[in-house]
Amino acid sequence: MKKETGNKMRLGIFISVGLIILIAGIYLIGSKQQLFSNTFRISGIFKDINGLQIGNNVRLSGINVGVIGNIEIIADTAVRVDMVIEEKVRKFIKKDSQANIGSDGLMGSKMLTIIPGTSGKKVIQDGDFIETTAPVSIDNILLNLEIASINAIDITDDLSAIMLNIRSGKGAIGKIFMDSTFAKTVDDAMVNVKEGAGGFKQNMDAASHNFLLRGFLKKKEREKKKAMGNRQ
Amino acid sequence: MNQANTTVVAFRNFFQEVGQLTSFLVKFFKQVFVPPYEFDEFAKQSFIVGYKSLPLVGITGFIMGLVLTIQLRPTLVDFGAESWLPAMVALSIIREIGPVITALICAGKVGSGIGAEIASMKVTEQIDAMEVSGINPFKYIVVTRIVATTLMIPLLVIFSDFIALMGSFLAVNIKSDVSITLFITQVFDSLDFMDVIPSLIKALFFGFFIGLIGCYKGYTSSNGTEGVGASANSAVVVASLLVFIIDMIAAQITSLFT
Repeated sequence: MKKETGNKMRLGIFISVGLIILIAGIYLIGSKQQLFSNTFRISGIFKDINGLQIGNNVRLSGINVGVIGNIEIIADTAVRVDMVIEEKVRKFIKKDSQANIGSDGLMGSKMLTIIPGTSGKKVIQDGDFIETTAPVSIDNILLNLEIASINAIDITDDLSAIMLNIRSGKGAIGKIFMDSTFAKTVDDAMVNVKEGAGGFKQNMDAASHNFLLRGFLKKKEREKKKAMGNRQ
Repeated sequence: MNQANTTVVAFRNFFQEVGQLTSFLVKFFKQVFVPPYEFDEFAKQSFIVGYKSLPLVGITGFIMGLVLTIQLRPTLVDFGAESWLPAMVALSIIREIGPVITALICAGKVGSGIGAEIASMKVTEQIDAMEVSGINPFKYIVVTRIVATTLMIPLLVIFSDFIALMGSFLAVNIKSDVSITLFITQVFDSLDFMDVIPSLIKALFFGFFIGLIGCYKGYTSSNGTEGVGASANSAVVVASLLVFIIDMIAAQITSLFT
C-alpha cells in the first residue's frame, strides 16, 4: 500500500514536471508572438509586400518589437498589413514614422522595419495607419540587372564593331594604327617638318645679325634682365 | 500453384488480421467512455509506461541532441551559418526526432512488455478467470493500458525534447561559447505553435497505436508459451512500423497547413 502511494506520488511529479515544461515552452513561443504581453495594432498599406507573412517580425531600431498580425488585400494595388506591437515601445513610434519591408540577411525571412519618425511629432495611436515605403524587391534588382546587362551587350557590340573597323584600317584611328602608307606619309611629313624647322632656325639666326632688327632684340634682352632683377 | 496458394493464404491472413484489429478498436471505443473507470489500474500503467520509461527516453534524447548538434555543426560552419545551429537542432528535435525516437523506444520497451504480459495472462487463463469473477477484463487490462500509453507518450516526448535540447546546448558549448539565455532565445525564436502542436498530436497517435498493438497482440495470442514470445515480438515489429507510417501521414498533413 505504501509502495503504491509512493508510486502515485512519483507519477504525479512526473506528470506535473512534464506539464510545467510544456506550459513554459508554450509561454516562451507565445511571448515571442506577443500573445501574453500588452500590445497595440497599427496598419500600413503597401503596393507589394514582397512575400511578407503573418508572424514575421516587426523591428524598431533593430529590436524585435512585434509581429505581423494580419495581411489582407484590399484593392488590386493595395495590401493592408496589420502589425501587433508591444505597448511599451509606442512612445517611440511617431505619427510620421515609416514602415518598410526588408529581409533578415540574404537568406533570412522577411520582416517589417519601422523608422521612428521625428521626435517632436505626436505618438501613434492604436489602429492608426503608418506611412510606408516601397520595398526593395529582388525582382526589381533583377530587372535592373537585366537592363544593365542588355546595355552592356549593346556597348560591347559597339566596341567590337569599332575594334573591327580599327583592325581593318577604317576611320581616322584605324588609319593611324593599321595603315602603313599613312604611317610613311606621317614619317615623311615629320622629316619635312624637321627640315623646315632647321631652315627656319637658320633664317632666324641670320635675321638676329641683321642691323634692322638688332636694336629691337637688344631692347628685348634688357627688359628681360630687368624683370629678372626685380624678381630677385 | 503452391506459390499462388501461399500468396492467397498470406493475403487472407492479412485481411483477417486487419478485420480483427478493427473490431478490437471498435470494442475499445465502445468501452473507453463507459463507467466504471479503472483509475487505479490506469495510474499503475501510467507509472509503468511513463515514469519507468523516463530514464531510457531521457538518455536517448540527451544523446540524440548531443550527436545531432555535433554532426550538423561542420556543414553549418561550411556555410558560415554556425549561429543557426540551435534553431536547426531545435526544429529537428521538436518536429521529428523527439517524437519518433521516443515512440520507437516505447514500442520496444512498452509495446513488448504489454504484449508479453497480456499474452501470458491469456495463456495462463487469468483473463478467463477475471471474466468469471465478474471483472470486465477488456476494460481492466486493455482500456487502461491503451489510455495510459496514449497519454504518457506525449509526456515522454516533452521530456525527451527538453533533455535533447539540453544535450544540444552542451554540444554547442563544446566548440563555441553560447550562453543558456542566447540558446533559449535562438531555440524559441525558431519555433512556432505549428511545430509543437502537430508533434504532440503525432505523439498521441504513436502512444495510442503502441498500446493498441501491444494489447491486441497479447489479447489474441495463442499456442501456449510459444505464443507469448511471438506476441511480444510481433507487437514490437508492427508498432515500430506503424510509428513510421503514422509519421509519414502526419508529415503530409502538417505540410498541408504550413
